[in-house]
Amino acid sequence: MKTKWIAMICSAAMMVLLLSGCGGDNESSGSGGEGEKVSISIWHNWTGQDAKAVAMRKIIEDFRVDHPEIEVIDEGLPTDGLRTRLRTVAAADEMPELFVMFPDAMTKEFVKGNLLQPIDEELNANPEWRDNFIPNALDGFTVDGKVYSVPMNLAPSSFVFYNDALFKQHNVKVPETWEELQTAVQTFKENGVIPIALGNKTNWVAQSTFFSTVADRITGTDWFLKAVEQDGAKFTDPEFIDALKTFQELGELGAFQEGFNSLDETQMMQLYFQGNAAMVINGGWALANLVNNAPPEVLDNTHITIVPAISGGKGAPDTTSGVVGTGLGVSKKLSGSQKEAAMKLFYALAGPDGQKATLESSTLVSYNIELDKSKAHPLFVELYDLIQNVKIVPVYDSKLGSATVEVVNNGLQELLMGGNAEDIAAKIQSAQATAVEN
Amino acid sequence: MSSTTPMFMGKAGPSAQAGTQVWRRTRNAIFWTLLTCYGIVTLYPFLWLVLSAFKTNEDFYVRPFGLPQVWHSENFMKAWDSSRLGTAFGNSLIVALGALVLTLFIAALTSFILARFQFRWKGGVLAFFVVGMLIPIHSTLVPLFILMKQMSLLNTYWALILPYTAFALPTAVFVLTAYLTSVPRDLEEAAFIDGTGLWGLFFRIMLPMSIPALATVTILSFLHSWNDFSFALVFINKTALKTLPLAIANFADGYQTDYGLTLAAMTLSVIPTIALYLVFQEQMMKGMTAGAVKG
Amino acid sequence: MKGCEKSMNALRSKRFIITGLVPAVVIYSLFVFVPVVWSAYYGFFSWSGMGEAKYIGLGNYAEILRDPVFGRALKNNVIFVLASVFGQIPLALVLAVLLHKNNFLQRFLRSAIFLPMVLSTVVIGMIWQYIYHPQIGILNFLLDALKLGDWKLQWLSDGHIAIYSLIPPLIWSYVGLYLIIFMSALQNIPGEIHDAAKIDGVSGVRKLLSISLPMIKNTVQVAVILCISGSLKSFDLVYIMTKGGPAHATELLATYMYNSTFATYRYGFGSAISTSIMLISLLLIGTSQWLTSRRRARE
Repeated sequence: MKTKWIAMICSAAMMVLLLSGCGGDNESSGSGGEGEKVSISIWHNWTGQDAKAVAMRKIIEDFRVDHPEIEVIDEGLPTDGLRTRLRTVAAADEMPELFVMFPDAMTKEFVKGNLLQPIDEELNANPEWRDNFIPNALDGFTVDGKVYSVPMNLAPSSFVFYNDALFKQHNVKVPETWEELQTAVQTFKENGVIPIALGNKTNWVAQSTFFSTVADRITGTDWFLKAVEQDGAKFTDPEFIDALKTFQELGELGAFQEGFNSLDETQMMQLYFQGNAAMVINGGWALANLVNNAPPEVLDNTHITIVPAISGGKGAPDTTSGVVGTGLGVSKKLSGSQKEAAMKLFYALAGPDGQKATLESSTLVSYNIELDKSKAHPLFVELYDLIQNVKIVPVYDSKLGSATVEVVNNGLQELLMGGNAEDIAAKIQSAQATAVEN
Repeated sequence: MSSTTPMFMGKAGPSAQAGTQVWRRTRNAIFWTLLTCYGIVTLYPFLWLVLSAFKTNEDFYVRPFGLPQVWHSENFMKAWDSSRLGTAFGNSLIVALGALVLTLFIAALTSFILARFQFRWKGGVLAFFVVGMLIPIHSTLVPLFILMKQMSLLNTYWALILPYTAFALPTAVFVLTAYLTSVPRDLEEAAFIDGTGLWGLFFRIMLPMSIPALATVTILSFLHSWNDFSFALVFINKTALKTLPLAIANFADGYQTDYGLTLAAMTLSVIPTIALYLVFQEQMMKGMTAGAVKG
Repeated sequence: MKGCEKSMNALRSKRFIITGLVPAVVIYSLFVFVPVVWSAYYGFFSWSGMGEAKYIGLGNYAEILRDPVFGRALKNNVIFVLASVFGQIPLALVLAVLLHKNNFLQRFLRSAIFLPMVLSTVVIGMIWQYIYHPQIGILNFLLDALKLGDWKLQWLSDGHIAIYSLIPPLIWSYVGLYLIIFMSALQNIPGEIHDAAKIDGVSGVRKLLSISLPMIKNTVQVAVILCISGSLKSFDLVYIMTKGGPAHATELLATYMYNSTFATYRYGFGSAISTSIMLISLLLIGTSQWLTSRRRARE
């Protein structure tokens, strides 16, 4: 008797399993075949309560209202989670119709994996859209002459945010040359103020926000691009070692607070918000955080400039490292009415209106539109004005192979802990040489 | 404190022993004070979590260890509303409890067989399961995703229940089998002679007998499915089916985190696990005393 | 029991064995074993995780052997294993012996010690980061207050000590689990043995070593294996607290695998690392089993 009872439970469980399997099937085929309604899914990282995320979600909401014939299934994930998820579904060739995609390494790998389709057709159909991007804005999304996406923002990665009150209090000049920066560091340090807050636990921070610009000042952009291609320049060249050493010396001078390798970017901003640090070097994206979270006494005294000039360097002084922002990847499998619908949403998010909404949410864009200064926060106006006169040079992690980026990032942590510049340079060189070979 | 009573129970000895008695008392007092301090220290992080949940970002940044300047109890309401925490809560409960029940039943049955029967492939089967304890889960994400896609399990509760069960099985089987092998077989033999069938043995004798080990398995299995992020991230993309860790992660975008809301959501998410522990602690103590009576 | 087994209807018990094992074997094979073999198979390819894969035989394993970062990660993992086995287990044993009463204080202590287990690693990582924080951390603050300013260290950012700084949170968060396991085992020791010990006047540490420990030797062995396998695949805590840095100082095999697989587009290499983790675990557990069985044979 008992045995039968158990057997029944077991078989019931199995039935449920099987049924649920079939159920899943039915559902997915159901959404496609529902009359005229087309369904597209979009994965993004606009999950927060910050202005940019809110603006993007609003565009999607409005799109739903304007296009009742299109069903938009949107899914927000934290950025790290989005990357992991995309990597997994890429391996299974199951990309969503649209997804937030990073320029350079990710775009290249996904194109190589035959997962994306180019959007040249749509761009050429809308020349006023295509031609309004800032110069080189599409490079990070271009592979073998085909354009796969457009940037939806601009991410200059290296600005000096400084607390003017602390500079005045300790009688320090806002540095315009490297020597002045060194003096500033020394003065602040003597007075118990953290000269530059740094949070390099997530190890891209030092590379992206500071070192890329310093290196460009010293080696010049041409050298870097050659070294990336391993064509006539190597990372063991004296100019690169000079850049590493310059950076290391600044660290040895005590520019960064103790324990900078164990704090993350949030905690680095936290130090600055507490008024304990005179400067923090971070990308343009930090502005929204600053405006939302810094206490008024810090926010009102904050101004923005670029990393000071380095005399004797081959690079231009009026530049900052940076990269165009994320775009949207379009799945290879899209066609027909579904593709049409997806491209409509693409245009709503990344077209002129989307770019305008992004700019109005205090986020820089790679697109030519005027900022309505009366509506924006004064600090964002300051940033916007600054960027008009500054040229963007490539940030290291946008051009190097992803394995090399890991070596650079770890190498910089090692460098700031007293590592040998020549050894680190050799490791970077060998990683990039391997990357180019493959 | 009442805990020291056992030490005091020794009858007050002759005056010659009074000195040692006093010494022993002080020693015990110091010892238990230290242990209590240790307990408070291990509790502190939880306290920190709850306190920080009442803070604004600015308050959190400027005074991470202080009490909240203003108690923002609305953080909890906001957290609950803004990220569909309620749905996520329900989903997590379904998935974690589903996996728990499945794990307990299947693992107990397997362990019963492995511990009590002799058959040819016994060692092999046990080893086969134990290897599963050594697997770092991230390497299985891609193959599992492809498998579940082919079985059309993605975006159903089963996409989480089944892998959670499968990954909890090795430890569960291992703990339960080890436990059963160390427990005497008298009860079962008596019942068997009384004519109880094998399923009867399993349900009436073996399950109640292994309550302490089942308790351990319960904790491990439930906590694992309750807190898992990786599987939930990859195998579920319907918002309606998302579990708590994903919902909580959504409070943080790449560049800024609302700490008040995040920590409020985390505090809420800890409640069921604490409740489970408290309930279960009672059960475990009961099970243990019952076992002692039997022994 | 042997006689009992023989008397069982052989056919019935055979059918019972098979029906009983099927659900576990099916679910486990499908969702654990197949993916693992599958992933091990990727380990023989040079593959970015999408598109074409190139078969390279043992190429990834050859690279692992030469890779200094892998060596570093392995060393860190061994430190973790030793710290867990010799930190968590003895601590949990002592606590289990002390906290077996059911009065308020002991229940409170048990719950307090167990509580970290129910917190998710994200919370644990976050709080310990603030404990170790170089500027506003409570640890350095306490050291200052106790006039021990010289002992202040850069807990997580000094490459020489970061890995050791991760040990207290590691032990702290899992002691509760082993406490529970040992307590339930100790409860199973028949009452007469405790009574006998009391009469002989054996108590405290001596009782633990001479009476309780041998009685629950099996459980301790189980705990050791759980401990080894758990610390070899540990990932979350380190990933949250240090990301394996600074400069690979706290890199673990699992974090290295994760980075290779999901950050640097080297899926094949990541799979090879993950297979290595399993092989190394098997080796370590085999050794620990062999050591204990040899000791038992000598006894």
